[in-house]
Parts: sequence; C-alpha cells; structure tokens
Amino acid sequence: MSNLSVKNLHVSYGTVNAVRGVSFEVHEGEIVTLIGANGAGKTTLLRAISGLEKAKSGSILFDDTDLVKLQAHKIVEQGIVHIPEGRRIFPNLSVYDNLMMGAHLRKDAKGIKEDLEDCFEIFPRLKERSSQLGGTLSGGEQQMLAIARGIMTHGNTMLLDEPSMGLAPIVVDEIFEVIKRINKRGTTVLLVEQNANIALKNADRAYVLETGTIVNEGKARDLLHDPTIRAAYLGC
Amino acid sequence: MGHVLQLFIYGLQLGSLYALLAMGYTLVFGIIKMINLAHADLMMLGAFAAYFLFQWFGGSGNSAALVVLIMIGTMLFGALVGFVIERFAYKPLRGRTTVASLVAAIGVQLFIENLMRCIPGVGALPKNFPTLLPKTNISVGGYQISSTQIIVIAIAAVLLIFMQWLCYHTSLGKQMQAVSVDKDASALMGINVNRVISITFSLGAALAAICGILYGSLYPTIYVYMAGSIGNKAFISAVIGGIGNIKGAMLGGLIIGIMEVFLQSFAADISYGLCFAILILVLLYKPTGLLGGKAVREKV
Repeated sequence: MSNLSVKNLHVSYGTVNAVRGVSFEVHEGEIVTLIGANGAGKTTLLRAISGLEKAKSGSILFDDTDLVKLQAHKIVEQGIVHIPEGRRIFPNLSVYDNLMMGAHLRKDAKGIKEDLEDCFEIFPRLKERSSQLGGTLSGGEQQMLAIARGIMTHGNTMLLDEPSMGLAPIVVDEIFEVIKRINKRGTTVLLVEQNANIALKNADRAYVLETGTIVNEGKARDLLHDPTIRAAYLGC
Repeated sequence: MGHVLQLFIYGLQLGSLYALLAMGYTLVFGIIKMINLAHADLMMLGAFAAYFLFQWFGGSGNSAALVVLIMIGTMLFGALVGFVIERFAYKPLRGRTTVASLVAAIGVQLFIENLMRCIPGVGALPKNFPTLLPKTNISVGGYQISSTQIIVIAIAAVLLIFMQWLCYHTSLGKQMQAVSVDKDASALMGINVNRVISITFSLGAALAAICGILYGSLYPTIYVYMAGSIGNKAFISAVIGGIGNIKGAMLGGLIIGIMEVFLQSFAADISYGLCFAILILVLLYKPTGLLGGKAVREKV
C-alpha cells in the first residue's frame, strides 16, 4: 500500500523547469530520501507536495486524494507536515506559541497536551526555553523547534528539507536520532538532503535527483556503496 | 491649568482619531508590507454611511440604541468595503513589486473619492454631520469640555484596547503575527493565509469607518475629500510609532494629536509642517519608529 505517490510531476518558475516529470513513491512507515546537488529541484519538489508551489502537470496522490488541487493549508489537514528549509520558525512568537501554531487546526485538547509533552520529552531543551522567543534560539534549537512544531500538527507523513543545514556534526547526529525516533513511532518520512552520506545511512530507500529528473533509485544501503553515487555525492 | 487641561483633551480626542486610523495602516503594513494609501478614504465612507443611515432610520430622534446600531452598521459596512478592496484591487497584485500595490492603492483612493462625488446626495459639497452623540458642556475651572469629546475618547480607547487584546491574546492575533513574518511557514501550519489577510484588512477598515463617525461628531462637516490631511497625519503617526507595531500606532497617534493641538494654540500655521519635522527626526535617529522592533538576526 502506497502512502504518497508522485506521478510525472512538472513544476516550473516562470521559464525555468525546476522539476521535469518526476515519479516516485513513499510507502507507509518508510524513511525515503531524495538526494541531489544544489539546484537539482529537491526543495521545489517538497514545496509542490505541500502546496506552496503549483504543479504544472502530473499528480501527487496521498492515499486517494490528489494534492495538486489543494491549497497548502488544506494539505496540512490531510496529514502531511512539511518542515521547510532554513527552519522557518516564527522568531516573534515564543517557543510555546510556535508549538501551538503547529496544533492550529486541532480541536482535541487532550491530544494536543499529549503531543506537547512528547515534544518536551524528545527535546528537553525546548521545555526549558518554552517562554523564550523563537528567534533567540540557536540554529540547532531552531531546527528542533521546527521539527517539534511539525509533530504538533499530528500529521502521519513528514517532509523534511535539509534538516542538517548549517549545523555542527554533533547536532546533526542528534537531529537524525530524533528523525529515526519519530519514524519508529509511525511517522512516514520523506527527507531531502545535500548531505547524502548521513541521509543514505538513515534512510530505507533513496532517489537521486539531477536537474529536475530522477536518475537513480534503490535501497539506501545499496546506493551508499554504489561507486557512481560515491563519486558524485559522497566525495570518495 | 484649566486651559492646559482643555488643550490636552482636544489633543487626546484628535490623537485617538489618528491612533484608530494609524492602526489600520499598521495592521495592513504589518501583514503584507503594503502601504494602503486608500485607507483614510474608508473613514470618509464611514462618515457618509453613518450620515445616510441616520437620514433613513433616525430622522429627528436619536435614541442611544439607534446610535449604537448606526455605529455597528457603519463598522460592518467598512469591513465589507475593506474586504472587497483587498479581494479585487490588492490580492491580484500580491507578490508583485511594491510599486504595483502602491499604484493600485492610489487608484483605489481616486476611485472611491470620485465615485462618491458622482453619487446623487453626496456630491462635492460639504454636509453637516448629524449630532449622534450627546452634547452637554462640562465646565472645568472656567473652561468648557463637551460630553462628545469624552465619549469619543472613551470609544476610541475601548477599541484600541480591544485591538491590543485581539492581536496579542487571541488565536486570530497569533495567526496574524505568524502570517506577518512568514506566509509559507504559516500555510504549512494549516493557517488559511488569504483568510487572515482578508480579516486583517476588514478589521482595519472597520476601525477607519467608525473613526468617520467619531470625526464627524467632533468636527461636524464631512465631505468627499476629508481623508487627505487626516490620513497623512495618521500615516505619520503609524511611522513614528513604528509601522507594523500595534502599540506604536497608538503612541504615535497620541503624540501627533496632542502635539498638533498644543502647537496650534500658539502657532497654527506651522503645526502641520512640524508633524513632518518630527517624522524626519524619528526616521533619522530611529528608522524603525519609536516602538519599532529590533530586527531579529537570522541564525544559520
């Protein structure tokens, strides 16, 4: 059973065709990673799935709903949560308010409280800083807040865009531990990374994107040992 | 002492009108970074809406209930007009250059003013605004203060406090704050960004519309071009306070209103000019306005 299924998707900005006929699938419970160089169209692809970018043609089926026709805030209701590149937390709101913004659409007070406790258990540092403004956190803490804010939407599928960007290696490891932990609790993960090494080490399957098209795919473990991938993306 | 108190009351009443209008400029700028030059014309539309509502329903008598209904009707009318303007004139241009929306705003301003001029019963000539608020004079140390002034200040204060509460202590307010800093991230939280922007416009417009009633009650001559200098001064107030900042709009409005009245009492000719002088000083020494936020540094 397929959870997310992208078929022949085209997305363009003006005259630039950023995504050209991409098809791929993410199955329930998996961690799937999209790797590729800067400008390969990874971020555009995620933005099209979450409705921030309009697709020119093709379809994005999430279970049986075609997301292409829906606006971004309607796609969140479907259970897709997108943690955007550069965290994009609300710097002018407190950590607590940022988290509550994630629960914006939910009415189940009890569930919200449970998820909040969950977030604070996963990220104890956010609990210590819950009344601090989001903008005063460090880069790593902001990434944690962005992920926690995503957890608060209670979506079942998480799109993560460059969670390692600009973070110290030790913080990157910490973030990926959390991603694995969230995945084990039943959240499907679609991960976009420039850091192919850490992405392939943590994912189940991977797709390689080059100038808007998928050029390779397979088990993440296999790609990690594929000589062409190693040469092109792992620098060895 | 009585004289100073009297001037202060006059300053307060003018300042609260500026503050109400400045709130609209600041709300719209805060959320979509657009200067809505047509904003003050909604005050004019509000004044005329109240004028006609009173003609149709009031006639001679004006009970308190009728006045409240006229106020509510005028605010709803203002909110509707604000919604329509945003939907049809500004929304199609969102995401384009700032010049595009600025020109659109000037267009809307010209359109509203000239449309009003064409409507039979409005025209270009000034109209006398009906006496909606009770008018009894209270003597303080030999100087007269009218009950209208007190009521106007009280209504403005209630509305300003309400807005403060709405923006900082409600879910809608939090959504407005979120949309104002990051529309994409807000949409990813499930916030209907277009809806929040519409509501923000309508709120600002409703405040401008009731401002028309308050203005008409204090200075009972209304005409199609009345928005001009009041709008400018309200906009200056918003910038001085720190545009995009709710408290700043209130503070800026009160500063400009009180200063204008005191200056007028001994140098009427230069008071308008001095508003701009203060604006220049503030922009020179604190470009983000008195209460304008420190830009939060982006962390990578």
